[in-house]
Amino acid sequence: MPRRIETKRVACLWVVLLGLIITPAAYATTTEPAGELMIDHFDPETGKRIIPNERCLTCHGDEKHRNDVRDDGTPVKIFVHRYEIEASVHGAQSCTSCHVTIDRVPHREAPEVIVGCIDCHRQTWEEYRDDPDDKHARLEIVTEQIDNFMQSIHAQPSSLDQSRTNATCYDCHEGHNVGELGSIQRADKRLKNPEVCGRCHEKQLEEYSTSDHGKAVLEMGDSEAAVCSDCHTTHEIASPVTDKAKLQITKNCGDCHEDAQRTYFKSYHGQVHRLGYTEAAKCHDCHGGHLVKGEDDPTSEIHANNRLENCRNCHEEANDNFLSFWPHGDAHDRENYPGLWAFRVFMEILIFSVMGFFWIHVLLWLYREVMDRIQGKGFIEDLSKPDLVYFRRFPAVWRWIHVLFAISTMTLILTGTTLLFSHTAWAKVVVDFLGGIRMEGIIHRTAAMIWLSIFFLHLGIAISNIWRNRATFEWFGSTSLVPNWKDFQDLKDMFKWFLGRGPRPEFNHWTYWQKFDYWAPFWGATVIGISGLILFMPDKTSLLLPGWTFNIANLVHAEEALLAAIFLNSVHFFNVHFRPERFPMSTAIFTGVIPIEEFKHDHRLQYDRLVASGELEKHLVQRPSRRAELAASFITTVLIMAGLTLLTLVLIGLVTLPS
Amino acid sequence: MEKMKSNESVHKGVRNLLLAMLAVLPAAVSAGPSGQAMAFTCAGCHGTDGSSVGPSMPAIAGMDPEVFVDAMKAYRQDERNSSIMNRIAKAYSDEQFKAMAWFFASQRLQLFPQKYDAALASRGSELHDEHCEKCHENGGRPGDAGTLAGQWMPYLQYTMEDFINGKRKWPRKMKRKVDAAIEEAGDDAIPALVNYYGSQR
Repeated sequence: MPRRIETKRVACLWVVLLGLIITPAAYATTTEPAGELMIDHFDPETGKRIIPNERCLTCHGDEKHRNDVRDDGTPVKIFVHRYEIEASVHGAQSCTSCHVTIDRVPHREAPEVIVGCIDCHRQTWEEYRDDPDDKHARLEIVTEQIDNFMQSIHAQPSSLDQSRTNATCYDCHEGHNVGELGSIQRADKRLKNPEVCGRCHEKQLEEYSTSDHGKAVLEMGDSEAAVCSDCHTTHEIASPVTDKAKLQITKNCGDCHEDAQRTYFKSYHGQVHRLGYTEAAKCHDCHGGHLVKGEDDPTSEIHANNRLENCRNCHEEANDNFLSFWPHGDAHDRENYPGLWAFRVFMEILIFSVMGFFWIHVLLWLYREVMDRIQGKGFIEDLSKPDLVYFRRFPAVWRWIHVLFAISTMTLILTGTTLLFSHTAWAKVVVDFLGGIRMEGIIHRTAAMIWLSIFFLHLGIAISNIWRNRATFEWFGSTSLVPNWKDFQDLKDMFKWFLGRGPRPEFNHWTYWQKFDYWAPFWGATVIGISGLILFMPDKTSLLLPGWTFNIANLVHAEEALLAAIFLNSVHFFNVHFRPERFPMSTAIFTGVIPIEEFKHDHRLQYDRLVASGELEKHLVQRPSRRAELAASFITTVLIMAGLTLLTLVLIGLVTLPS
Repeated sequence: MEKMKSNESVHKGVRNLLLAMLAVLPAAVSAGPSGQAMAFTCAGCHGTDGSSVGPSMPAIAGMDPEVFVDAMKAYRQDERNSSIMNRIAKAYSDEQFKAMAWFFASQRLQLFPQKYDAALASRGSELHDEHCEKCHENGGRPGDAGTLAGQWMPYLQYTMEDFINGKRKWPRKMKRKVDAAIEEAGDDAIPALVNYYGSQR
């Protein structure tokens, strides 16, 4: 049985071999001296040396030897506060997780401080962003600030040394002392902020330290007072010569000076700023940037003695009139600005009463016509008798005047309301589209000139018409636009009709609402025209008029324009185009004619009078050509759409107006 | 017939052996000798597994592997004075240095008692704490600044002489520290330190 013997032999050999392997191993484990092996100081996975923080702090935490000398003999501070770093947000990190170039201790070569904060914070946020606990929630803000920093002037290459950025994280953040929100480190940080920025921005710190902000922070230790980052932002810092910085800083002033900002935004200066343009005065233009001081301080730029000089920085010819301008005039502050307050109250009463009255008028009229139509009453087109005979309402000159008036009014509304509603996104888009705030000013003034010219042209024509017919002209006659007692009677009867308590009144050549539409621009032209002329060339008019007139002109110009914009694009549109009898539109103002049936319905008294006097024939014309009708419909449609768009923009502006 | 059969089995055995060798040989060649195998050649001078028994021969067991590689590379490039190490080092690649380094780093250092002067050792302890401890941490135990604690005293003596005589390049900052120790303790400084390290177990 040699095979079996062989198997036994092999097995025995294996047992002996196994014994030989196990015995020394077992012996070794029991007799080896205690203590670590050198390999324990290395990461078994990566083979990289593990340098415990204690090892770093042996030298860098030695309070007795805070400084060392570099290889070239220059001194270098090497001290790190052990307790600061342990209490900081990075307390659990190892030194080498940030100081990644440190691989040997003692350092074989002079170590370079190469620390990259960005990747680690971004990666850590990516890793933990979906965590249910909010332990890493703050990293979201940190990564946002990283993005802001990367866009900032600090992250740009230095013009003196392109190999480095203007500033980096640890130039401002004490790398070893980054505190959690609400921690002592963070409270201290505000007070230290000017010093930190001042390390590079020395001149600015010097100026700031003389300012009210600087004194409060640096002398009184008031951490609530403005420090650099409150105005310049912490990370999104832009070069002060850029629009971005100017806009940012002015906006940030308002974080503390809310009232001053609110009133500033009401002024032309503030409206321009809010539209994203820096041409007009910003906070620091008048108050001084780093040198900002109260008005009682004789060295302050806004002190009574220095104020005019200050205005002259922009308004070179400014005279004493400027001193009575209220740069922060508040129409809601009755005590300090009673005049401005009174004008606002008057204008608002006017707007609310006019709009309130006419919107009720519109709604009731709509209700009545809808009810009538449901009942088969009212003016309904007879399809078996197509309109062939038309009544001539407007000669060509009035039609031209109306179209030009409409276009210039809409242009004025569009350009003007961008300032009034400078807080809206649409206003910024419109101004940008028009080519900026200066171009917008030119367009507004051009439209205003056209508008006023038309107004006076019309006045001239009307007066000359009356003069020519002075022998027969009846001021209160049936074709006169002068309001008369019948108009008030008609108004009363219309309300009765609206409520179903009487028949629809019969009208003369002009109805009362048409007369209102006609006369309203007289008031508007006076208010908007006078205030507009004051504002037209402020550099010139300001030499003649006291400064406060600009506050009042600005206010009434805006309020009256608002009234006109809303009235024309809602009430006037309804009365002329949208009421069911006329819907979708009347093209009479462009064709100059209306179907005789419509004339008979809307102006029955005049119709009867003309029939009785036999003069009707004089006014009758043929139906306009198809092409003329299409053209009139086209123009009307465009204007209506434009008007409704403007109304929408104005309403958006009103609804979103910051209170 | 019987003979033929046995011959056939011999041939088969030879063939199988050759096949087995063919299979094993390339693997053996590409792997090269292990760190441990290479370390056997060091044992003649540096003792079994690097725990030297000769008084002028440094113990290298439990040595920091990066310090080991640094030293070997310096020898190979004739940047560190030596008796024969510069010749030996030239025979090895970086990878082999590393393999040996990790082998010695995994060994425990066996220390042998040395005769020392207790008074000098005590003075040396003070000097060490003041001037040397930051780099040679824990009294000079194995670390990134080499192994001093329990190291053979004659070796330490020769090495310090090499540094002082300019035969060996000072590591960064070390000259400043040694100068300061000498300024403080005069001619006793080096013997005191050597006795202190030699006194350790």
